[in-house]
Amino acid sequence: MSTATDKQSANSSAPHTAPLIEVDHLTVAFGEGTRAVRAVDDVTLTVGRGDLYALVGESGCGKSTLAYSLLNLVTPPGRITQGRVSFAGRDVTRMGRRQLESLRGAELSMVFQAAMNAFNPVLTIGRQVEHILAAHPGVFADQAEGRAYFEHLLQMVQLSPGEVWDTYESRLSGGMKQRVAIALSLLLKPSVVVLDEPTTALDVLNQRLVIDILRSLYESLGITIIFITHDLAVVAELATRVGVMYAGRLVETGTVDEVFLDRRRHPYVEALVSAIPSVLSGQGVAHAIPGQVPDLRNLPPGCRFAPRCPLARSSCSDGEPPLLADRQGHAVACFVVNEDHDQDLVVSQ
Amino acid sequence: MSLLEIRSLGHRYPSSRAKRPVLNGVDMTIEEDSITAVVGESGCGKTTLGRVVAGLIEPTTGQVLFDGQNVWEMPKQQRAQYRRAVQVVHQDPFSSLNPGLRAGDSLSAGLLYHKLASRRTVKTRMLELLSSVGLDANEELLERFPHQLSGGQRQRLIIARAMSLQPRLVVADEPVSMLDVSLRVAVLDLLLAMRRQHHLAYVFVSHDFGVVRYFAAGGRILVMFFGVVVEEGATDDVIDHPRHPYTYLLREAIPVPDPRVARARRETPPAERLQAAPASRGCVFANRCPFASDECHDARPPAVEVGDNHRVRCFFPERVPQVSTVLQDRAAKVSVDHAD
Repeated sequence: MSTATDKQSANSSAPHTAPLIEVDHLTVAFGEGTRAVRAVDDVTLTVGRGDLYALVGESGCGKSTLAYSLLNLVTPPGRITQGRVSFAGRDVTRMGRRQLESLRGAELSMVFQAAMNAFNPVLTIGRQVEHILAAHPGVFADQAEGRAYFEHLLQMVQLSPGEVWDTYESRLSGGMKQRVAIALSLLLKPSVVVLDEPTTALDVLNQRLVIDILRSLYESLGITIIFITHDLAVVAELATRVGVMYAGRLVETGTVDEVFLDRRRHPYVEALVSAIPSVLSGQGVAHAIPGQVPDLRNLPPGCRFAPRCPLARSSCSDGEPPLLADRQGHAVACFVVNEDHDQDLVVSQ
Repeated sequence: MSLLEIRSLGHRYPSSRAKRPVLNGVDMTIEEDSITAVVGESGCGKTTLGRVVAGLIEPTTGQVLFDGQNVWEMPKQQRAQYRRAVQVVHQDPFSSLNPGLRAGDSLSAGLLYHKLASRRTVKTRMLELLSSVGLDANEELLERFPHQLSGGQRQRLIIARAMSLQPRLVVADEPVSMLDVSLRVAVLDLLLAMRRQHHLAYVFVSHDFGVVRYFAAGGRILVMFFGVVVEEGATDDVIDHPRHPYTYLLREAIPVPDPRVARARRETPPAERLQAAPASRGCVFANRCPFASDECHDARPPAVEVGDNHRVRCFFPERVPQVSTVLQDRAAKVSVDHAD
């Protein structure tokens, strides 16, 4: 349902959520003219209100660039060359500085990948909270109310306010910093939070803690969460919906159950899952994906995954496979698996 | 004689004000051509242990014996041989290469110092090494700076650098945790192939039991909690039948790429007290332990045999539930429920 852009499929397949963020034929290029590299290449997707959306892919697939465009944070040499991003019906790509300032943080906030390094090292966490509150008057009646809300958030991320407020970031562990960053991102009561690799630099126990915390924030605050990751195990544990990117393109999107359990899956997703060494016994061995992610300056003809794909046929190099959705909205961009599918499929973008 | 032996090792960093030492009474034996995984969370001392094994840190107490010789009392020449024979592959491929040196300079330094190649033969040797780790064996690659290489290429170059000195033991400290998921298995496979070729031993440091099961199949695991080895045994025994509560909790925490398992997990209360600080008296794990009794807070549990060459430091290993099928069973049950 999320990727459906033409009216018909959008209507027939929107059982639970109204669209909140709509990315429409978005292309983000770095560099000029013929040497420009398209980090995000004609991507269309919709995140509904109340989704817990995972954007998945490997280094360089464009997932972070796409997330940055949601807040219009792409900076030169990168620029949006085509398409639009709308948030609650408003085009983010055409907003002026003023509008963006009131959007960012307050309606749509972001936790950056190196969140643990995003604090000011010479100010206590409490001072940084006070600065944010001063820059955004109107969210709370006064500083005290804002501080009380932040302390409430700290408890939700399983930290005690006493050990955080008067502390400098250097005194916090990596896992604690990540959780303070999550609490900070919620301070101005945004309806959407975007998190770039929230679990990546953490060990297994801290990863588990962040997964459990995000899930409970999602359920108790009723917010929409978009998170970026390269780890499909984290996706299965946390997300409700998934978009998978490969070399700048969206190659599959659907609910977690569709992406992990449907028979019709993109071979890349299949390969990513089987590349995870399983901790469960009797699950068979993990398999590396042969070859490398293509260089965006030198893409293979046709399907970008074809050179690494176990299902590829010679015809896969003839053109780019369209993203085709079934009635539920589960969309896959692969000639082979779509051809073998018996249900009617519609073009999703 | 074992390749490397560690006896009642303790270490405390000189600048540390922490109440507990980083390593506290660690014993470890590494045989030739073996794999030993060291598993634990951030801050448990696993990296420090790896650095002690490699001779990069002189421990405060205890002994490190290489070929039966104390490495901190060796004559200079013998010590140089030990330092050559034990190599390290670090976690972060972005910070373990000198950004000002070309790939060829990073690779040739050790070869020339240890006289494993001469000025005349070093280039040929380097190209052989590149191809042995799956990199393009051309001279252009040797001219590149680290920032001109991808993460996967850097990690392969670092492995080539470690292997260039013909080590007998390699300490691999989280060698794949900074790499994309699709590259991890390939790098692990490369390390395993190196072992088959050169019959070297690995100390493999990781926090991820999935990766450990893959890499250390047939080897041994040491589970560490804040400087103490709380469980050790054969890889499959420890992962499938953990007998220490900490191993059990670590094992249960691992994300699994199956939404049915996740749903099953959400139906049970989340693992509690995951964050409690280590105890300073009694069992180091007592503050976090869901099965602890009063005596766990009073006395330090001895290492007890719970199976064939399988030891835990716990008074009540029988309280630890069987883990190997818990999630799978729950997942199967949930998927049946959903099918109805």
